[in-house]
Amino acid sequence: MAQLDIQNLVKRYGDFHAVRDVSLTVADGEFLVLLGPSGCGKTTTLRMVAGFIEPSAGHVKLGGADVTLLPPWKRNAGMVFQSYALFPHLTVAQNVAFGLEMRKVPRPDMNRRVEETLALVRLEGYGGRLPRQLSGGQQQRVALARALAIHPDVLLLDEPLSNLDAKLRQEVRVEIRELQQRMGLTTVMVTHDQEEALTMADRLVVMNEGSVRQVGSQRDLYERPADKFVAGFVGRSTFLDGTVEAPGCFRTEGGLSLVCAGGTAGKASLSLRPERLEIAAAPLAGLDNCLPGTVEFVSYLGAMIDIHVRLSPADRLVVQIANREGGFTPDVGQSVHVGWRASAGQVFNA
Amino acid sequence: MSLVVDKPRGQGWTASALLAPATIFIAISLFAPLGILFRYSLNEFVPSTKTMVEALTVANYVKFFTDPYYTAALATTIKVSLLVTVVCLIVGFPLAYVMARTQSRFKHLLIIATVLPLFVGNSVRAAGWMVVFGNKGFVNASLMGLGVISKPLEIMFTENAVIIGIIAVNLPFMVLSLQSVIEGIDRAVEEAAFSLGAPPATMFRRVLWPLALPGILAGTILTFILAMNAYATPFLLGGPTFKMMAPVIYNEFTQKTNWPFGGAIAFILMSVTLGLTLIANLLIQRRSAR
Ligand SMILES: Nc1ncnc2c1ncn2[C@@H]1O[C@H](COP(=O)(O)OP(=O)(O)OP(=O)(O)O)[C@@H](O)[C@H]1O
Ligand SMILES: [Mg+2]
Repeated sequence: MAQLDIQNLVKRYGDFHAVRDVSLTVADGEFLVLLGPSGCGKTTTLRMVAGFIEPSAGHVKLGGADVTLLPPWKRNAGMVFQSYALFPHLTVAQNVAFGLEMRKVPRPDMNRRVEETLALVRLEGYGGRLPRQLSGGQQQRVALARALAIHPDVLLLDEPLSNLDAKLRQEVRVEIRELQQRMGLTTVMVTHDQEEALTMADRLVVMNEGSVRQVGSQRDLYERPADKFVAGFVGRSTFLDGTVEAPGCFRTEGGLSLVCAGGTAGKASLSLRPERLEIAAAPLAGLDNCLPGTVEFVSYLGAMIDIHVRLSPADRLVVQIANREGGFTPDVGQSVHVGWRASAGQVFNA
Repeated sequence: MSLVVDKPRGQGWTASALLAPATIFIAISLFAPLGILFRYSLNEFVPSTKTMVEALTVANYVKFFTDPYYTAALATTIKVSLLVTVVCLIVGFPLAYVMARTQSRFKHLLIIATVLPLFVGNSVRAAGWMVVFGNKGFVNASLMGLGVISKPLEIMFTENAVIIGIIAVNLPFMVLSLQSVIEGIDRAVEEAAFSLGAPPATMFRRVLWPLALPGILAGTILTFILAMNAYATPFLLGGPTFKMMAPVIYNEFTQKTNWPFGGAIAFILMSVTLGLTLIANLLIQRRSAR
């Protein structure tokens, strides 16, 4: 295991920037997750670390050594592919042994390590099977075992769970995380499943359009999103567009005057988390903002209820409330009041 | 038929009915002539009257294997075919690989370009080669014009001309067989081998080759059989003294009207082709099974 340093990595295709100036450090034994919408450059970044794509600029360092110019077979990076990419003509044991053969590990050691690694992913006794004789989840574990067997400096996972069904995905993600912690693996995983990212990562990286937008813990990203994109991408936010007239004073496009936390004068968006808003039939006391509105849409999610409230012709909010017994549940068309503390909203200047 | 309960759909009469036309066609067009030809090959031939006499003799087969003229033709045919097949495989694999893996918009043009030579008949193409390789042909004229050589190079009417000619005909078959199989191999599997520490040559030997084996077999069989039976190319590019089997057989049938001997040679060519193909396949499959 080793520390991974990504320095000012750039990948251009013609004049299209797939990755622009990405710098990240993954500490020894850390689990970093790259999160972002489709096409934001996650896979490209990961493949530059693995050595499959040559960066247009920048450096990749593994354990302090610059590997930017090394081909993939000279880097000690274990990769798990989305399609698993098992060797279909080799047995499970031969698949896992492949990397050890390349490293010229002597036969007895090799057999022992293959056994150990298969045990690690709970596939003892499956060594003699061919990949096509395994279920999707088992194939996924073989792919993981194959990458782990070489004792990689860094483990790279590109949407490793996307081909599993929802239930299996939850199990496997706990398994991978436990294994990673037990072995102290430096790991980079790509996903666009937020829940997956939240349950597995030590730290998350949110990317958009080839750039890193924010790096931090789950809490950092949720409570203190660095920009409007992160606020919208991590968790859920509704945005009210308007202008900051003076710090602490926000006017929406619909003309509503709101109290907000900070902000500098100019065009801006006020971001509000649906679950941080309160809703009631009568005006709410003790809150910085309290506005009347009309319920336009109610969606019943089981444990939660989403209520879309129109505050003015140009302003609409989503309020999420817990579905408590005897709790307040307005109907469509009903007049309500929505309120929140200034600190519950966040202002992003445009 | 109450026992056959779980018969999968479409495997009963429907399947037989669908297979019947092809089966009947093959039976009539292939096996009937072969059967008749085989019977002829056991007959006798009277040279003076140029007629076939009903008999049951292996004399025609004995004649073939005792006359160096014919055994040499067989040896040449095998040698040329093996060489052609090996060269087609070596040249064709990279080409097929690039065609299978390219993401270019012009991929279909590449495929058409590969097949394009087949749009021209063998004889027309051979005539073209004659223009290029002849003593006053394009290559010699250019080289002599540039002063590189003083005497024309002997390319036409040599074994080399024939080999080059047959390779040109057979390469598309090899490339297409390989390309379709390589296309079915997940590119990520190659990358997995790289990431596990296999350099390209090792990756090729351990992953690409074994996975492409069905295409390699199909391509080599096709190329080898086509080469063994090549007629126009050896006839036109090889010249009068160069002998390969197909022209020899044709000669027996048409010039000498010796149907019994022609039939015998045809059967020898077929058996040798079949035998060598089977042996080669067994060897390749055994080696890759390890
Ligand atoms: N070979 C290529 N040529 C041109 N553009 C490319 C190439 N490979 C990727 N791109 C572009 O680079 C961008 C980033 O691609 P990448 O595969 O890294 O996205 P991603 O974040 O992994 O998306 P997803 O979540 O859908 O897998 C995309 O817009 C893609 O179209
Ligand atoms: Mg991707």
